[in-house]
Amino acid sequence: MFHTEEESIVTMINHIAQNNVSAGTESDVADMVESHITKFWSRRMKKILAEQLATGTEEFEPAAKVAAQRISDKLAEKA
Amino acid sequence: MLQHFDPNKDYGTPASLSEKLVTLEIDGVEVTVPEGTSVMRAAAMYDINIPKLCATDNLEAFGSCRICAVQIEGRRGTPASCTTPVDAGMKVTTQNDKLAKLRRNIMELYISDHPLDCLTCPANGDCELQNMAGAVGLREVRYGFEGNNHLHAEKDQSNPYFTFDASKCIVCSRCVRACSEVQGTFALTIDGRGFDSKVAAGQNEQFLDSECVSCGACVQACPTATLMENSVIDMGTPEHSVTTTCAYCGVGCSFKAEMKGDQLVRMVPAKDGDANHGHSCVKGRFAFGYATHKDRIKAPMIRDSIDQPWKEVSWEEAIGFAAKRLKDIQAQYGRESIGGITSSRCTNEETYLVQKLIRAAFGNNNTDTCARVCHSPTGYGLKQTLGESAGTQTFDSVMFSDCILVIGANPTDAHPVFGSLMRRRLREGASLIVTDPREIDLLSTPHLGDATHLPLRPGTNVAMVNALAHVVVTEGYEDKEFIASRCDTKAYSKWREFIIDERHAPEAVEAITGVSAEKVRAAARKFATAKNASIYYGLGVTEHSQGSTTVMGIANLALATGNIGREGVGVNPLRGQNNVQGSCDMGSFPHELPGYQHVADSVARARFEKAWGVELDDEPGLRIPNMFDAALAGEFRAMYVQGEDIAQSDPNTQHVEAALSALDCLIVQDIFLNETAKYAHVLLPGSTFLEKNGTFTNAERRINRVRKVMAPVAGKEDWEVTVDLANALGYPMSYSHPSEIMDEIASLTPSFANVSYERLEEHGSLQWPCNDAFPMGSPIMHTESFPIGDEGKAKFAVTEFVPTTERANSRFPLLLTTGRILSQYNVGAQTRRTDNQAWHDEDILELHPHDAEERGIKTGDWLGITSRAGHTVLRARVAERMQPGVVYTTFHHPGSGANVITTNNSDWATNCPEYKVTAVQVEKVSQPSQWQKNFQDNHERQYEFLRGSASSEAKAIK
Repeated sequence: MFHTEEESIVTMINHIAQNNVSAGTESDVADMVESHITKFWSRRMKKILAEQLATGTEEFEPAAKVAAQRISDKLAEKA
Repeated sequence: MLQHFDPNKDYGTPASLSEKLVTLEIDGVEVTVPEGTSVMRAAAMYDINIPKLCATDNLEAFGSCRICAVQIEGRRGTPASCTTPVDAGMKVTTQNDKLAKLRRNIMELYISDHPLDCLTCPANGDCELQNMAGAVGLREVRYGFEGNNHLHAEKDQSNPYFTFDASKCIVCSRCVRACSEVQGTFALTIDGRGFDSKVAAGQNEQFLDSECVSCGACVQACPTATLMENSVIDMGTPEHSVTTTCAYCGVGCSFKAEMKGDQLVRMVPAKDGDANHGHSCVKGRFAFGYATHKDRIKAPMIRDSIDQPWKEVSWEEAIGFAAKRLKDIQAQYGRESIGGITSSRCTNEETYLVQKLIRAAFGNNNTDTCARVCHSPTGYGLKQTLGESAGTQTFDSVMFSDCILVIGANPTDAHPVFGSLMRRRLREGASLIVTDPREIDLLSTPHLGDATHLPLRPGTNVAMVNALAHVVVTEGYEDKEFIASRCDTKAYSKWREFIIDERHAPEAVEAITGVSAEKVRAAARKFATAKNASIYYGLGVTEHSQGSTTVMGIANLALATGNIGREGVGVNPLRGQNNVQGSCDMGSFPHELPGYQHVADSVARARFEKAWGVELDDEPGLRIPNMFDAALAGEFRAMYVQGEDIAQSDPNTQHVEAALSALDCLIVQDIFLNETAKYAHVLLPGSTFLEKNGTFTNAERRINRVRKVMAPVAGKEDWEVTVDLANALGYPMSYSHPSEIMDEIASLTPSFANVSYERLEEHGSLQWPCNDAFPMGSPIMHTESFPIGDEGKAKFAVTEFVPTTERANSRFPLLLTTGRILSQYNVGAQTRRTDNQAWHDEDILELHPHDAEERGIKTGDWLGITSRAGHTVLRARVAERMQPGVVYTTFHHPGSGANVITTNNSDWATNCPEYKVTAVQVEKVSQPSQWQKNFQDNHERQYEFLRGSASSEAKAIK
């Protein structure tokens, strides 16, 4: 149970990483998380994710953080 | 003579499936039929019709009435043609003086104890007894009517839908046999012997008080007016019929809507229905009264604010009002500030148009569907492993299954017609394994094989499925040949290494699932060693934070044991609503165009852009929960909802209500003022399935025609409203009939390429994929390859068990799981407006006697249920079928507030809500919750806005 949208976004990316922890190394898990978010998350969710990564207080799983950084970089490139 | 199967004809006994043919002679006509065919059926196939009363072709031959007696050369006496199988060279006589006299004598005895009230009888003109009396030439009853008889037997009118008039009963046992053979409930019996024999429900109870589930099979089977629909008693016999598809669950039963002018008299299950073969349930058979309920919205309405009364307006004004608001909002807040939700209750064509409207006219991908909250993990999980987001089998396939594994599904309640078919197979000897926290009714099905219940703790499906797979692999039950030839080697090796780890052993997960390791091992062996083993699952799998993982785990289990790609096996998601499969197929999800083609796929997108004449967004849009969050953040301002009730069905109701209240424009298109519509600014009258043309796709990927039987109450079918809205927004749409929409779907969706209304008329139904590779459709999928990767090989997926964060603790010590009941459907908007209320007029909280005793709770007590999300109040039922620590309720009544207490936890891959695990505390209380009080106030206020004054219905609603 989470209480804010920001909290839910970070919870979700962590959840994806946790459920795919057996995908291999941290980098493999990050690949999987990045691919999943690219394929299924909306532009707005990705934006909130990037904001949380930059300035938020929520804690990221290591692989989730790597994936979030890649997503954030892609958003910056597009912008 | 050529044999044609005429679905409207009763052949007397079931068809033989033998491929060996036998030739014989009946009344001098040479006939050739499958071995095992009865003489009665063989004759009927050649249009030689032998009189009959106790025989009907969906029941095994019984041979009690003897009116079908024939003579066979070289054999003594007059054997019953229904119980006599054909023999090569047999010479049968069906008509001569001796047989005529015999039949007349039998009929005379029947009629001597039957009311002679044909002219006032509700079955007049539709009575087999009457027809047979005519056929045998009955002219007198020599025995008179003065002796002992049953002419004054009392009627049982307890059931709201049919009457049992024992005075008209000929004790042919057709009803009793239909209840046992077809429905599998065994609620009826013949009580007494000889002259005292009579049909009895339960232990000589009223029908309503017995185990009878009101499926209507007995009414259908009755050859007289003994069991008769009340609607026929009231209105008389129908004069024409239209075949269409039921709009309740994902079984998709075919029905003949029998009409009198434009009034629907009754729904009769179609014998040639490919999904239901003439069977039905209480919802499809009887619960159609909502279509003409006084609460139907009959005119478009608008208002500026949800605190204002509705204003009834013309279609033009309502559509214009909606379009202007949408355009103004987009102009002010941007292209992505609006979106919509398609309906799994509407047709494929309507769903396709709504997502097209959103993508092409709104200019974004903010489209989603209620499958988000039910089977989205199925779409994800099966796509990842098997390559296609759909079940692999036909329903009939279960009849070839030797071991049936049911996970998180309750088919006898939620998919009753398929549940009956499954029960039939279980009675034939298939073994059953049920993985469910509750003891479901299927477990009590009489059958020759043994039933195993794995009563796991809510939220532990992944651990259980992994444990089953662990046993399969470590004990050497893998189908190595299948794996080598049909599965991706690399993915398999990775999975194998994962699953053999001891942490997945039944002994290791015993403490997690609460099920003994020994039991799990035995179940795994049973599943793995069966010749054909099948898996059926429902929302008890998907509605978890690991729903997608469990779906992939299920696919792993089927692949590891080689149970994919033939009859009797497979992975079978039991879809909840009538067109969940179709709404997903039609591109309702924000990341997928119709046919599961990703929006980022530039080739697919280009085809849609060309056909639709617009540029499409290549990024996924908002999912339903994201729409709510964005609304609360002020970034999402308008929503078009066709035929869904998200305010009742989605979790964490207070969050949903706040989000809907935040919208500047909510357009609801529905048949009633549902819970969502109470937050709407535009209310567009919807049309029921009886009022429109289209198609539904059921859980076996079967595309079935929906045919209009009456005019839409407000003049427009749902697809026409979407067309109008698109045109008002400046995006041109022009269709004269849903068949043209289907043609467009077929042109853009590879799996539907060969689907058309013409072909549906020709074949009755088609199962996708239906294209050049599979021109006749695909009853069983993946027979040779999987639509995944370059080599067409299935992919095992690693399925890590990550426990939910929603855990019981000292504050919330119980786990709540929610579900459905037979008599009500989904949010209940339809069934609550029928006599189905007789069975379930309120949602109840079930709890184990131990938990009840600990809290001093008795059945009937009012209970406050508190979770981390909210608080509501329901009445208690103490039930042994619950396991200690687990409580259960349904969500069919809006005032129950079942979803006030469910949380916003969701599946990691799809955001499907975790309805099945909510930590709660329960305690005795004396008054409704604050939310319930607010709900009641708002309900009455909104009905007042609708009608000018609070209606009695509004006051009465629970």
